[in-house]
Amino acid sequence: MPPVINTEACLGCGICADVCPLQVFRHNKVTDKVPEVKRPYECWHCNACVLDCPAHAIELRLPLTHMLLYVDADTLKPRDLPAR
Amino acid sequence: MIPLKKQYEADVAVIGGGIAGLMAAIAAADKGARVVLLDKANTKRSGAGATGNDHFLCWIPEKHGDISVVYNEFMDSQNATSNDTPLVMRFLETSPKIVNMWNDWGINMKPTGDFHFEGHAYPGRPRIFLKYDGHNQKKVLTEQAKKRGVQILNHAPVLEMFRNEEGVSGVLALDVSGDEPSFIMVHAKAVVAATGYVSRLFTTDPTPSQMFNTNMCPSGTGDSIAQAWRIGTYLVNMEKTYRHAGPRFLARCGKATWIGVYRYPDGRPVGPFITKPDVETGDMTSDVWSSAFTDLKLSGRGPAYMDCSGASREDLEHMRWAMKCEGLTALLDYMDKEGIDPGRHAVEFGQYEANLVTNGIEIDINGESNVRGLFAAGDMMGNISGDIGAAAVYGWIAGHHAADYQHLALDEGMPAQAGERMAFYSAIYERKTGASWQEANFALQQIMTEYADCGPHRVRSDTMLSAGIKYLGDLRRKMEKELYASDAHELMRAAEVINLLDLGQALMVSARERKESRGRHIRSDYTFTNPLLRDKFLRVWQENGEVKMAWRDRLI
Ligand SMILES: Cc1cc2nc3c(=O)[nH]c(=O)nc-3n(C[C@H](O)[C@H](O)[C@H](O)COP(=O)(O)OP(=O)(O)OC[C@H]3O[C@@H](n4cnc5c(N)ncnc54)[C@H](O)[C@@H]3O)c2cc1C
Ligand code: SF4
Ligand code: SF4
Repeated sequence: MPPVINTEACLGCGICADVCPLQVFRHNKVTDKVPEVKRPYECWHCNACVLDCPAHAIELRLPLTHMLLYVDADTLKPRDLPAR
Repeated sequence: MIPLKKQYEADVAVIGGGIAGLMAAIAAADKGARVVLLDKANTKRSGAGATGNDHFLCWIPEKHGDISVVYNEFMDSQNATSNDTPLVMRFLETSPKIVNMWNDWGINMKPTGDFHFEGHAYPGRPRIFLKYDGHNQKKVLTEQAKKRGVQILNHAPVLEMFRNEEGVSGVLALDVSGDEPSFIMVHAKAVVAATGYVSRLFTTDPTPSQMFNTNMCPSGTGDSIAQAWRIGTYLVNMEKTYRHAGPRFLARCGKATWIGVYRYPDGRPVGPFITKPDVETGDMTSDVWSSAFTDLKLSGRGPAYMDCSGASREDLEHMRWAMKCEGLTALLDYMDKEGIDPGRHAVEFGQYEANLVTNGIEIDINGESNVRGLFAAGDMMGNISGDIGAAAVYGWIAGHHAADYQHLALDEGMPAQAGERMAFYSAIYERKTGASWQEANFALQQIMTEYADCGPHRVRSDTMLSAGIKYLGDLRRKMEKELYASDAHELMRAAEVINLLDLGQALMVSARERKESRGRHIRSDYTFTNPLLRDKFLRVWQENGEVKMAWRDRLI
């Protein structure tokens, strides 16, 4: 699930739901304190909710599909291939 | 029927509160116009500039000297294939004023103390991208718009535009602030369309199972290009699809912010420009040879890596700072968490799926389309590119001229087509079962990717495009019968897919008509590049339900 809310720290202000460009959250101010992460698959990982949460209660978790591919830079060199 | 709950009257309605839309609203309000701006999300954090940008193409006379220095460099750049010269000149001439305005408002255009140009540059050649700190740009522009009395309606995606005999007359939007949808009507004398980039038309290249992992914000689905198309507006350059590149598998723009060298796995540089990281130029290879990453993979010589390990500690710190200005904080947080250190690790780069960014509504020098009072600005302009710089400057120009219509009388009656369109969207919501928007969007992406994808290594042809056009028609009929949405959010997404389908059609008919290969438009039945078509732009539009086309000369 992309944004993960720390429910203890959340103030229930609804800012995350208001600023999210993709409506990942659903927040009914009357009935819920903590917003529901209703549409995790529509998250763009823009970080707006993380940056704007006054309680620093949101962390983004990138799905495995989005993993960054990397190698140690010093492995970028000619390989010794077995002789044919 | 979904109820029509709110109606507004405006001199200028602005569709989209991204960079261009906010600048248009500000300029129109400055001329005394009553402005209503509608955004799909919240202007403080919406669109491609949501959390920042850091390179602003512009002309600063005291740094560049003659304007031709910037013009020539710009016309050599990756997206300059769709540029009418008079529009580029107007953009560049107006750019110093806008840059200074932004700086005065609190967007830091001189983060190093003076105007400094870096990145996206060839060694030894002039630099045209101003390095700035855009992390707060959306909040600042929103504040500036509000200060001028612009009425901002957030969570109000526009569904349709309307026109009467004289010109544009208003827009219909959906209130998506709660689960229950309702309609909003804005009667207006002029409209500025500024919905940005078009994502989600082709299968997501890095992650086919994750439609929203796109390099630009996936809420950009070209809505106002499609809405304009439906009322007979000219679109131009629709066949010139673009493919961006960046880190894999997290798709994101901002490649020029990385201070490193693209390398083969054996350490050799991929391009001819630099052999060690250069903060002033960056590595231009991917701007010039944008298919490099795909070429390397398909030839078995890849993958290609972005290697920043040769950069000094100071340059790596600079890059980290620049990534924050650029809005790449999610990427930074992730790298920190995973222990990925650009000083020691090389990150694989790849090409992303095709998108529309140098294509869209054809505008004149003032930003106006062929429909009186309908202006377009930003990434959706069809005949000028330039990303954030052009979006900011042309947004301002379009808003400035749109305000000139404020002396007209407002058409207060309900637009003739409004009832039919409201019934159309209501039917989607009233259906109890059927095809979800996701299903429709994936179906559309399949057809686009199979029949109309662009190069490298994918070809178009008359028979493939003709088949694709037929299949799009079949999909359209099915969608009209079966699309269903259970809440306001899903209805917004369903409307997006309907827009994407229109753009897919405009793209395919244009691609079929351009009977040559040029750049990423590779035709298996016309494999050569025809010099006679070099400076020809293809215009498409709808008239009485029929698609029309005409070639025109690029304006020089
Ligand atoms: C990570 C990243 C880094 C980038 N860095 C740079 C850079 O350094 N330099 C550069 O030149 N460019 C950069 N770009 C590109 C730049 O951000 C865009 O070119 C620019 O934002 C385009 O402005 P725009 O107004 O056309 O669109 P956007 O700013 O994307 O705004 C479009 C707006 O339309 C709204 N909208 C969409 N549909 C509707 C609808 N139906 N109704 C109402 N509103 C709607 C959206 O919510 C959004 O607010 C970057 C992009 C990204 C993603
Ligand atoms: S912004 Fe933070 S504090 Fe406010 S509702 Fe969201 S998670 Fe809770
Ligand atoms: S990261 Fe962006 S898209 Fe994802 S939930 Fe947060 S605000 Fe929404």
